[in-house]
Amino acid sequence: MRTTDASPASGPAQPLAAEARPIQQQQRRNPPIAGELNAIALAQAGDGASFEILYNMHKRRVYSLCLRMLGNVAEAEDLTQEAFLQLHRKIGTFRGDSAFSTWLHRMAVNVVLMHLRKKGLPLVSLEETLEPTQEDGPRKDFGTRDLTLSGSIDRVTLERAVQELPPGYRMVFVLHDVEGYEHNEIAGMLGCSIGNSKSQLHKARMRLRSLLRESADGRADA
Amino acid sequence: MTMTTNTPQECSEFQQQLPDFFDSGGDRIEHPHLNTCANCSALVRDLNYIATQAKLLMPIHDPSPAVWENISHALGKEPTARRASEDDGAP
Ligand SMILES: [Zn+2]
Repeated sequence: MRTTDASPASGPAQPLAAEARPIQQQQRRNPPIAGELNAIALAQAGDGASFEILYNMHKRRVYSLCLRMLGNVAEAEDLTQEAFLQLHRKIGTFRGDSAFSTWLHRMAVNVVLMHLRKKGLPLVSLEETLEPTQEDGPRKDFGTRDLTLSGSIDRVTLERAVQELPPGYRMVFVLHDVEGYEHNEIAGMLGCSIGNSKSQLHKARMRLRSLLRESADGRADA
Repeated sequence: MTMTTNTPQECSEFQQQLPDFFDSGGDRIEHPHLNTCANCSALVRDLNYIATQAKLLMPIHDPSPAVWENISHALGKEPTARRASEDDGAP
């Protein structure tokens, strides 16, 4: 029997995983949760137990977002708390125009951004010029086995590298690549231009690439 | 195809346009430079790979139980379930 394999034998670079469109990503990240609508209605009417149910349904997602954006457990917990307190104050205004989790999530992003503004941190990193990358010098040996990163990084390594990004890069990277926001949404949230958001994202990925290659080199040497 | 004839100048020009290529081309960037430059091909492959892996980072972190304790403590002091019309600054 002959198997028809879809993988390209040669040709230009192809990503291994299927491409995820933002809409699909939103659906994947916001799957309908059984009992959520009921809990929302009851919480809107002031039922504390239902609010706790909503907390338990969404705490992981809100906290993961805060942690990735802030890179700090104590701050992430404080702001998770703040986001849910704000949810409690505003839940009466939720009309169901968007998925509840999308609405809540946006609220959490705003809480984090507000916090960073109060701390006086720039939400967008200073522009720095990227030197074009060239394969030369001591990095060559990385390429003898495999020129690219593909297949070499796991979740923990990537999470660790994301935490090493400068705050402005990390913000755009988490919002765009992890959370699936579009550049126009990010520009609106951060108060920067769309071009700025694109360039920050690119620089974030470039920085991650060098961090991940260092880490891959380290493991190869070990 | 040969992978040897690219000048730093060509690579630099290509890499400067990359943010726009990624934005308009998604995961599949097609550019003549990639047919001849192993360096930039590897770069594009890596950046795609990073973006793909990032999409797979699911929310897996849990806050400590203290977070809910603090919330419920704070809610005990708040007037419960204010109506939307009373909420200032709501959209
Ligand atoms: Zn090149």
